[in-house]
Amino acid sequence: MNNFRYIGKETRRPDAPDKAAGKAHYIHDLRRPGMLYGKIKFSDHPHARIKHIDTSKAERLNGVRAVITSNNSPEVRLGFLRDNLALKKDKVRQYRDEIAAVAAIDPDIAEEAVELIKVEYEPLPGLFSPREAMKKGSPLIHETDAQGRPRTDNLLPLRFHHESGDLDAGKRAAKYVAEGEFSTPRVQQCCMGTAGCIAEFDMNNNLTIWAKTQIPFLAQRDFNRALSDMGLHDKNTRIIVPTIGGAFGTGLDTHAYEYIAILLAFQTGQPVKIVYTRDEEFAYLSPRQSSTTKIIQGCDQNGKLTFRQVEVTQDNGAYTSWGATYPSVMMIPATSLYRVSNVYFNAQLVYTNNTYCQAMRGYGNPEHTWALESNMDELAGEAGIDPYEFRMINCNRPKETTPMGLKVSTCGLKECLETVAKKLDWKKKSKKGKCRGKGMASLVHVGGGARIYRSDASGLILKLDDFGNVNAFHGGVEMGQGLHSVLTLGIAEALGVRPEKVFINPLDTSTCPWDVGTHASRGAFMACNTAILAANKLRDKIFELAEELFPQEVEKNLEKFRKKNPGYKPPDFDFVKAAKRERFDMQDGSIFIKDAPREPWLSLDLGRLLRTIHFRTQGQMLTTEVFYDPPNELPDFEKGFGNISATYAYGTQGVEVEVDTETGEVRIMRMVAAHDVGKVLNPPALKGQIYGALAQGVGYALYEELLSQKGKILNPNFRDYKIPTVQEMNFPVDLEFIETNDSFGPFGAKGVAEPGLVPTAPAIANAIYDAVGIRIRDLPITPEKILAALKKLKASKD
Amino acid sequence: MKTEISFILNGSEVKVTVDGHLRLIDVLRNTMGLTGTKEACGEGECGACTVIVDGKAVNSCLYPAHEIEGKSVITIEGLHVPKHKLSKIQQGFVDHGAIQCGFCTPGMIMSAKALLDSNPNPSDKEIREALQGNLCRCTGYVQIVEAVKRVARQMKGKQ
Amino acid sequence: MRRFDYLRPKSLKEALQQKKTIAGAKFISGGTDLLVQIKNRELQPPTLISLRSIPELATIEINGGARIGALATISDIIQHNELGLNYPVLVEAARRLGSVQIRNVATVGGNLCNCSPSADMALPLLVLEAKVRLRTAKARREIQISEFFKGPGESCLSSDEILTDIILDPPHQKAKATFLKKGRVKMDLAIASLAVLLEMEGGKCRKARIAAGSVAPVPLRLYKVEALLEGSTVTEKLAAEAQRLATKIISPITDIRATEEYRRQIVRVYVKRGLEKILG
Ligand SMILES: Cc1cc2nc3c(=O)[nH]c(=O)nc-3n(C[C@H](O)[C@H](O)[C@H](O)COP(=O)(O)OP(=O)(O)OC[C@H]3O[C@@H](n4cnc5c(N)ncnc54)[C@H](O)[C@@H]3O)c2cc1C
Ligand code: FES
Ligand code: FES
Repeated sequence: MNNFRYIGKETRRPDAPDKAAGKAHYIHDLRRPGMLYGKIKFSDHPHARIKHIDTSKAERLNGVRAVITSNNSPEVRLGFLRDNLALKKDKVRQYRDEIAAVAAIDPDIAEEAVELIKVEYEPLPGLFSPREAMKKGSPLIHETDAQGRPRTDNLLPLRFHHESGDLDAGKRAAKYVAEGEFSTPRVQQCCMGTAGCIAEFDMNNNLTIWAKTQIPFLAQRDFNRALSDMGLHDKNTRIIVPTIGGAFGTGLDTHAYEYIAILLAFQTGQPVKIVYTRDEEFAYLSPRQSSTTKIIQGCDQNGKLTFRQVEVTQDNGAYTSWGATYPSVMMIPATSLYRVSNVYFNAQLVYTNNTYCQAMRGYGNPEHTWALESNMDELAGEAGIDPYEFRMINCNRPKETTPMGLKVSTCGLKECLETVAKKLDWKKKSKKGKCRGKGMASLVHVGGGARIYRSDASGLILKLDDFGNVNAFHGGVEMGQGLHSVLTLGIAEALGVRPEKVFINPLDTSTCPWDVGTHASRGAFMACNTAILAANKLRDKIFELAEELFPQEVEKNLEKFRKKNPGYKPPDFDFVKAAKRERFDMQDGSIFIKDAPREPWLSLDLGRLLRTIHFRTQGQMLTTEVFYDPPNELPDFEKGFGNISATYAYGTQGVEVEVDTETGEVRIMRMVAAHDVGKVLNPPALKGQIYGALAQGVGYALYEELLSQKGKILNPNFRDYKIPTVQEMNFPVDLEFIETNDSFGPFGAKGVAEPGLVPTAPAIANAIYDAVGIRIRDLPITPEKILAALKKLKASKD
Repeated sequence: MKTEISFILNGSEVKVTVDGHLRLIDVLRNTMGLTGTKEACGEGECGACTVIVDGKAVNSCLYPAHEIEGKSVITIEGLHVPKHKLSKIQQGFVDHGAIQCGFCTPGMIMSAKALLDSNPNPSDKEIREALQGNLCRCTGYVQIVEAVKRVARQMKGKQ
Repeated sequence: MRRFDYLRPKSLKEALQQKKTIAGAKFISGGTDLLVQIKNRELQPPTLISLRSIPELATIEINGGARIGALATISDIIQHNELGLNYPVLVEAARRLGSVQIRNVATVGGNLCNCSPSADMALPLLVLEAKVRLRTAKARREIQISEFFKGPGESCLSSDEILTDIILDPPHQKAKATFLKKGRVKMDLAIASLAVLLEMEGGKCRKARIAAGSVAPVPLRLYKVEALLEGSTVTEKLAAEAQRLATKIISPITDIRATEEYRRQIVRVYVKRGLEKILG
C-alpha cells in the first residue's frame, strides 16, 4: 500500500516559481479599470456615543468620489452573532470601530479625506478586562442583541460546557493535586501580506469581490445577505481569491472593511479597493483572543490522572467573530489529551471595549495546551514522577473513545513522546551549572476535518482535456500552506497522471464547488480525499472507455513499432482479450494492463483516449465532480460531546533552553518536534508547515503580545511588535514524523497545519522550570517575568 | 514639485517624473508596474521591499525616489534573465521548500543575492546576519537558510 | 498629508543656503529615522534637503586619528578596514545597528542628529571622546560629543546647522573597549546598552570611559563610575561598586519596550560584563 509514486516524495510546489519571480499577484498588486481607493475613519474612543459626524470637508476634497456613514448608507450587519455593523450607528465600542469611509481616485487623497472627517462623541466608561466587564452593575457594551432584545450583562450568549464522570469522586481518588491559573495574550497573526479586497458591481447589481479569505463560500453567503440588506434582493456575489500572503485565521470571518468596500463600490458604481497598511492590520484587524484558564488536575499514587477541572474566561472584545468558538476546540485537549475520566470544562466569553478577536492558527488549542501541559508538569512534580514518565502513564492509545466522545482511530502519541525523549536525551539531565533545562509538551488536534458548521464538506471538479491535462476546481484556499501542492500530488497519485499535467485553477466561487473553508488543518485532508474520490470515478470511466479503445489503439502502436524495429517479435500476450476494465491501470497518463508484459507499445496514452472519444461522432469529454463530507459529527457544545473530527493529530515537542539568570534571557538550544501526521504527503511542504508553526510558537512563548491601554493598541508595528527573525530561530530543530497511516486519511494522512505551534510555549516553559525552578504562568515569557520570578524564588528560599 | 529622474532599472535606462515624497517602491510598483517588490510595513522593519541599489540591498520603502538618479536598481524581476528561466538563487528557493505564501520571498531573495554577490561563501552566521532584516511569518526560516547555503555551494561548484 | 518637496543640493554651501531660506525644511541623510517619523506623522516638513549628494560629507579619512564624514553609512564604517583596526568598538556597535538594508543607507551623522537615547553609534563615540564638527552658512564649531546631546530628539544644533564630521583622536595603544546591547530580539532598538573603554597600566585602570544608552534622556557618559575606576585595580569589589553606582546615576523610564527596573538591571549586569570582557 505504501508504494506511492508521488506521495511522500520530495516535490516542488507548483506555485513556487511564480512567487520566486515576483509574478504571483496578491490583492496589493491587482488593479481594475476605473478603480477607486477606499479608506476608513476609525473611532477615536473605546466606548462612546456618536453625537455628530461631519463629512462636509471630506466631501469637498478634490478627487473624492464618495463619503459614507451610517447616516447615508444602508445598515449592514456582520459577525458570528451579527452584533456588529459595517458602519457604526449610535455608539462605538472599541477603537477600531468604523465610523465613516471614503472612496477617492488615489490612496493619498482618500487618506487626506479621512483626516477631514470630524466626529463628536460623548465618551462612556470603558471596560477593558473580563473581570471589570463581569462585575455587577457594569455598563453594558451591547444594550441589545442583534434582534433588538435587551441584554442584562456583558457575557456572550454562547455556552461551551462539558462534564463527564464524577468530578468529586475523581478528586477523592487523587493523591496529588496541582492547580494553576494561566493566561495568554492577544497576539496578531502578522500575515506578511496585509488584508484587503476589491469590490465591483456589474450593471445587473451582481457583485464580484477579490477577497483575502479562507472561507469563500461562507463569505458568499455573508455578502449575499449584505446585498439583501442593501436592498439588492436575489443578487449574487462572486468571490475570486487572489494569491494570499499568509492568512493564519484572519480569513475565517468576513470583515467590516469588505462590507465597506462593497458599500463604496455600490455608491460610486466603480471598483473600490481597500488594503490595510501594516499599522491598520495591527490595530484594526482581529487578533487571537486573550484567555485565562484555571486548571486543577489530580492523579493517584501511580500517576494516573483521576480528574481534570478547567475554567476558561476569554476576552472577546467588542463584537463576536467565529473566533468566539475557540472553546469548541479547547474542549478537545481538555477532555482528550491524555487519558482522564471525570472531567469538567466550562468557558465563558465576555464582551469588553478591547479590540474584538478572531481565529488564529490552533484556534484555542495553543491557549488551552499552554495551561494543560504546564499544569501536567506541575502535577508530575507534586507526584514526584518524571514529566516524561508521567505523560507515558497517561498516554492516549489508538481505538479509544475519549470523554468528549472523540473516536480515536490512530494515535501516535506514545511514539511521539518516546521519540522526543530519545532525541532530546531526556534521561541525561542538562548541565545545571549553565542553567540549562529540558521540557516537553504534547498536543491533540483535529486531523480529519472539524465539523463546526452544518456541513464539513468539500468538493472537487476534475475536467480532462484533449491533451491529457487535468484541470482541477477546488474550493479550498491556497494561502501559502501548500494546499495546491498536495492537491496536485493527490490527483496525480490517485488518478495516475504526472503532476505537471495537473492544473489547479484559481479559486472562484462561480467555478469551484463548495467548501466550508480552509481552517482546522482540514485543507490537505479534505483536498486529497476529494482527489481520491474523483480519481476513482474518473478511472472507472477511463477504463470503461479503454476496454473499447485499447485493442484498436494498441494495434496501431504495434504496427508503428514494428516498422521502426523490423524483426521485432511481440511477446505472446493476447491484449485484446486482456483489455478488461478491471485489469487496467494508469500511471503517468499511460493506460496499461496490469499483468501485461512491459512493452513500449502496449499502452494507451490518456490524451489519445480523450481525443478519440471527443472527436468521434456523438463525442464526449470527461469531467467529474465529487463532494466529500467526512465521517464526523457536529458536537453539542453545550454538553461538550461529539466526534468533531474523523481523525486526530498528535504530537510532542521537546526543547532545551538556557536561561541567563542575570538578564532573564531565554536561549533555545535545540528543539525536537515529533508529530503523528498519519502519512507524509510532501516532505518539504510538511517540514515547512512545522518549522513555520514552531517559529510562531516561539514568538507566542517568548516575544509576542499586542499591548493595549484602555483599549488602544500601543504597538501596532513591527518596531514594537516583535516576531522571530532568522536570528531568533537560530537553533537546531529535529523534525520527526510518525506515520500512523490513518484509515480515514487520504493515503493515510492527517491534518498538520496547526499542531506545530500548539505545544511549543508549554514545552519552553517546562524547560525553563527544569533549568531554574521557576514557573511562568502568563505568556509571553519575557525576561522581566523571568527575573521577577527568580527574585521571588530566591526570597522564598532565603 | 515634480522632477525628472533617470536611472538604470534591471539593466535598462529609464526616465520618470516623480513628486518629492515618492519612494523608490512607489516608482517601482506604481509607475513602472513592477509589483514583484512588496510592501509589508513601509518602515524598514520587514525587508519585503528589498531591492539592490548599486550593489547594495536597501529597503525601497525608505528610499526617496529622487535619490535613485543616476543609480542602478535591480528588482526581483531583474533576476530571471532570460525571462523564462529563474536565476540560481530563485531556483534554489523553489527547490528547497523556502517558499510558502511567497510575500516575503522577493525581498528575501534580493537580500540573499546581495549577500552572495559580495560573499560567495557565507557562513551560517553571515547568512543570518544578511537576512535578519527580512521577516517571514510562514517558513520559520529553516529552509530559507538551507536554500541560501545550497545555492552558495552550487555556485562555488560551478566556478 | 505626507507630501513634501525634495531637494538635492550639490554642495554644503547650497544646502545651508536652502535650509536658511525654506521655512520648516529638514535635512535628510539616510532617512531611516526621518522618513519613518514623517510616515507616522510625528513630523510634517514641507521640504527635505538631502545631504546625500555632497561628496565631501561622505568620506572617511585616517590621519593618525580619524575623520568620519557625517554621511558615512553604518556599512561604510563596518567595511572600512583601518577604522575597524583602530577603533574596533565602533564596528562592534555598527554591526548591531538595524539590518543590512538599514545599515546600507543609515548614516552615522543621522544616528547622532536624531538624538535618540538609544542611538547605537553614540556610545562608542562617547567612550572614544569623539568631537563633532558643526557648520552653518556663517560659522563652524567643533565640540565634544558629550555636549552634543540635549534631550530626546534634541541636540545642540541650531536650526540651520549641519553636522559635518566626527573627529577621533589617534587610538591609545593600551585602550580596549567593548559594546553591549540588549534588545527584545536581536535586531531591535536598544532597551539598554553600554560601551566601556579602559586603559590599563600595571594592573591599574589608568583611564575609564563608560557610556550607557536608553537609560536617560540622552546617551549618557557615566562620569562618576569612570572616576571610581580610574587609578584603581579593578577588583570584584570595585566592579560591584561600579555596578551600584551606575544604576544610581542613570534615570531610565518604563515604556512599552521595557520597564525602568529592567533597564537598571541590564546596566548593572553590563557594567560587570563589560569590565570582565575587557579585563579578560
Ligand atoms: C528598521 C530600523 C532599525 C533600526 N535599528 C537601529 C538600531 O539598531 N540602532 C540605532 O541606533 N538606530 C536604529 N535605527 C534608527 C536609524 O536607522 C539610525 O538612527 C540611523 O543611523 C539614522 O541615520 P539616517 O542617516 O538614516 O538619519 P536621517 O533619518 O536622515 O536623519 C535623522 C535626523 O537627523 C537629522 N540629520 C541627519 N543628518 C544630519 C546632519 N548631517 N546634520 C544635521 N542634521 C542631520 C535629520 O534632519 C533628522 O532629523 C533603525 C531604524 C530602522 C528603520
Ligand atoms: S516594506 Fe520596506 S521594510 Fe517593510
Ligand atoms: S513565505 Fe509567507 S511570509 Fe515568508
